[in-house]
Amino acid sequence: MKRKIVSSLVIALVVAFMVPAAFSQDKFPSKPINVIVPFAAGGSSDLLARAVEKIWPKYSPQPLVVINKPGGGGVVGTEFVVRSKPDGYTLYVGYGSGHDVVMPHLQKMPYDTYKDLAAVSRLSVHSVAICTGAKSEFNSIKDMVAWAKKENKPITSSVSTKAGAVDITITALGKAAGINIVTVPFSGGADAVTTLAGGHVMIGGGHPSEVMPHIKAGRFKPLAVALPERDPSLPDVPTLIEQGFNVHTWGSIKGVAAPAATPKEVVEYLDGTLKKVCEDAEFKKLMTDLSQPIMYQNGADFAKFLQQAYGDYGKLIKDLNITIQ
Amino acid sequence: MSIFDGIISGFGIALTPMNLLFGFLGALIGTAVGVLPGLGPAATIALLLPITYSIPSPVPAVILMAGIYYGAMYGGSTTSVLLNLPGEAASVVTCIDGYKMAQQGRAGAALGIAAIGSFVAGTVAVVGLTLFAPPIAEFALGFGPPEKFALALLGLLMAVTLSGDSVVKGLIIMVLGLLFGTVGIDPISGKSRFDFGVTELQSGFDFVTLAVGVFGLGEIFYNLEQQGAAEIVTTKVGQVFPKMADWTKARMAILRGTLVGFFIGIIPGGGAVIASLVSYAVEKKVSKHPEEFGQGAIEGVAGPESANNAASSASFIPLLTLGIPSNASIAMIFACLLIKGVTPGPFLIVEHADVFWGVIASMYIGNVMLIILNLPLVGIWVQLLRVPYSILAPVVILFTMIGSYSIANQAFDLYTLIAFGVLGYALRKLKFEAGPLPLAFILGPMIEGAMRQSLLMSGGSFSIFFTRPISLTIVALFALFVVGQIFVSVRRSSR
Repeated sequence: MKRKIVSSLVIALVVAFMVPAAFSQDKFPSKPINVIVPFAAGGSSDLLARAVEKIWPKYSPQPLVVINKPGGGGVVGTEFVVRSKPDGYTLYVGYGSGHDVVMPHLQKMPYDTYKDLAAVSRLSVHSVAICTGAKSEFNSIKDMVAWAKKENKPITSSVSTKAGAVDITITALGKAAGINIVTVPFSGGADAVTTLAGGHVMIGGGHPSEVMPHIKAGRFKPLAVALPERDPSLPDVPTLIEQGFNVHTWGSIKGVAAPAATPKEVVEYLDGTLKKVCEDAEFKKLMTDLSQPIMYQNGADFAKFLQQAYGDYGKLIKDLNITIQ
Repeated sequence: MSIFDGIISGFGIALTPMNLLFGFLGALIGTAVGVLPGLGPAATIALLLPITYSIPSPVPAVILMAGIYYGAMYGGSTTSVLLNLPGEAASVVTCIDGYKMAQQGRAGAALGIAAIGSFVAGTVAVVGLTLFAPPIAEFALGFGPPEKFALALLGLLMAVTLSGDSVVKGLIIMVLGLLFGTVGIDPISGKSRFDFGVTELQSGFDFVTLAVGVFGLGEIFYNLEQQGAAEIVTTKVGQVFPKMADWTKARMAILRGTLVGFFIGIIPGGGAVIASLVSYAVEKKVSKHPEEFGQGAIEGVAGPESANNAASSASFIPLLTLGIPSNASIAMIFACLLIKGVTPGPFLIVEHADVFWGVIASMYIGNVMLIILNLPLVGIWVQLLRVPYSILAPVVILFTMIGSYSIANQAFDLYTLIAFGVLGYALRKLKFEAGPLPLAFILGPMIEGAMRQSLLMSGGSFSIFFTRPISLTIVALFALFVVGQIFVSVRRSSR
């Protein structure tokens, strides 16, 4: 009898230890995945994350949970992901934003965004679209440059943030065209776009998702996009290169990253699921409504692309002598 | 479709059982969020956003979120009055006289007038939204950096009126507020200021954390020190509804608050917080008894509480007619509409008339629901004052902590909350009136940013502030105020 009790206890103990082990060996994911957006709710990265959040459960047994951790231009939330457990349950949406590709050229960062994070997939690229008011006499970048040269006056432009993608792009255009463009920085894309809508500046730059409502309303005329090729969400708008100005930037890149030490098979699972999301018809419709082009890349290609974008921005910042001192 | 047809069809949509239910839920959650200190509508709407994915039509989703937003303005006054703890950012200024009223046993009157003022202002603002939305929106767009600079400067002048007996102490607090406002990334140069290497400080201090800390926690720390005194505060309840005399005093304050709130609410970057602060300053300025302010003047509750409601409804105008989100909560509603495939802007009224008119009609209904919900609640809330302070204080501290954490989901805000609480306690001990602190904190960065943006636009010439009609008008008003003040003081001293 005693023996029976002891043996059953032993079995119970062994089972008790085995069960969690069995669970932990269970296929990823076995619990909801936290997705950190290092920007405020309602912004373009947040909208993207929420679009993915909505479609994700179609292709994964566990849902995504979007958490906004804004602050420090994106650094606070990103650092949180860098320092979190590398198990694939804490991801970062917005990888490739200004604080990844621009900021490290200008200031010291509390982490190395390329060494401390693993690229999972690229979802979208938010290009810089240069717009003017509907009543403006400019119908192209050439018109604007001709006016500035003839009148010998500076062009004023609202930009989302100082030394952000829009600021750098428009400053680079000014240099390439040989005219003086004064960029007026704001504390976010919405403020900058509103200022242009009020006609307080001559031109302004913003991502398609920010300027699209005003283009549709006939309040803005889009003059150019700054990508090397046309932006799928603004197919009728010519690039700066097409208009004879050798300027391109990658705007703000929106991808997904995980802490660097995340197991390879987990990253592959996440990438594969995100690929399915990107090919989903409902997701495509959603992204069209948000004016965000789907530009999927797998983890390896995305990591290479990021290096290229980071290098390109570094070169521009050096050429234009941009500092934040 | 005429406005009349539009609003009739809107009521047809808003009165369907489904939309009524969502409107009621919004009003209910909004009231709760308003009452809970620190937890604001923006954080709540962000939390609820995923739930709206499963609602098939955009109309109920937006009705729900809008209800939370303007509903929070109703509930916000509750803890301001009862505990000196702003339940919501736009109710900070309500603490000043509301809490004094509660200490005098007039908590019920303060809460009653706040609810009635909210209802009047909310309804008037929705009427304005119904009738004049497109032209008002065009006018609001005219506010560029020079106009915002002039307006913020005028606001700062009014901040002086928020100081108590000593103007010198008021100015010291104002400078402190301006200093706190400089922390974080300077938008014009991109350089981070006074962050001492702390990444979290790069986005500056959070307004709600500052206000809840200085007013609410400061008051609790102070009360804990006063053995027994706190008990006296917490047992007086008094009459529940405003007396006739209160009503006569508050009537005009409600109307003025509504106008101020509506006007400030439509300006991009304006919003309910500034509206309530400006309304308080206006009330004190026009009052025949400015010395009563800070001692429990009912106008000091009625005006700001009306203003924040008018402003929250008015901020739907730039959203629905221009597609411009003017504050964090509205930005979330904007996001919700986009995810539902609806682009807010001038075509909303044509392409999605159901959304435009349905949401507006729901706001009329929502305000009625809120007043029915809130007036009887006044009687219940004042009973909170009977809870022993030893139980109330820790519960309240816990709620402020949850609220503060919910803003950016970071523990750092808890430390700043406590630090601001200690500051509030120190100010209380040194007999400083903390009123100008939040106003200077908000207006300082606005003045600095807008001025530098204006000067960038003009190539460094200050003439930009005097050559634009709206900006010139506000600057002239500012000069008039200053000259008038000097005139009054000279006459007083020569007597």
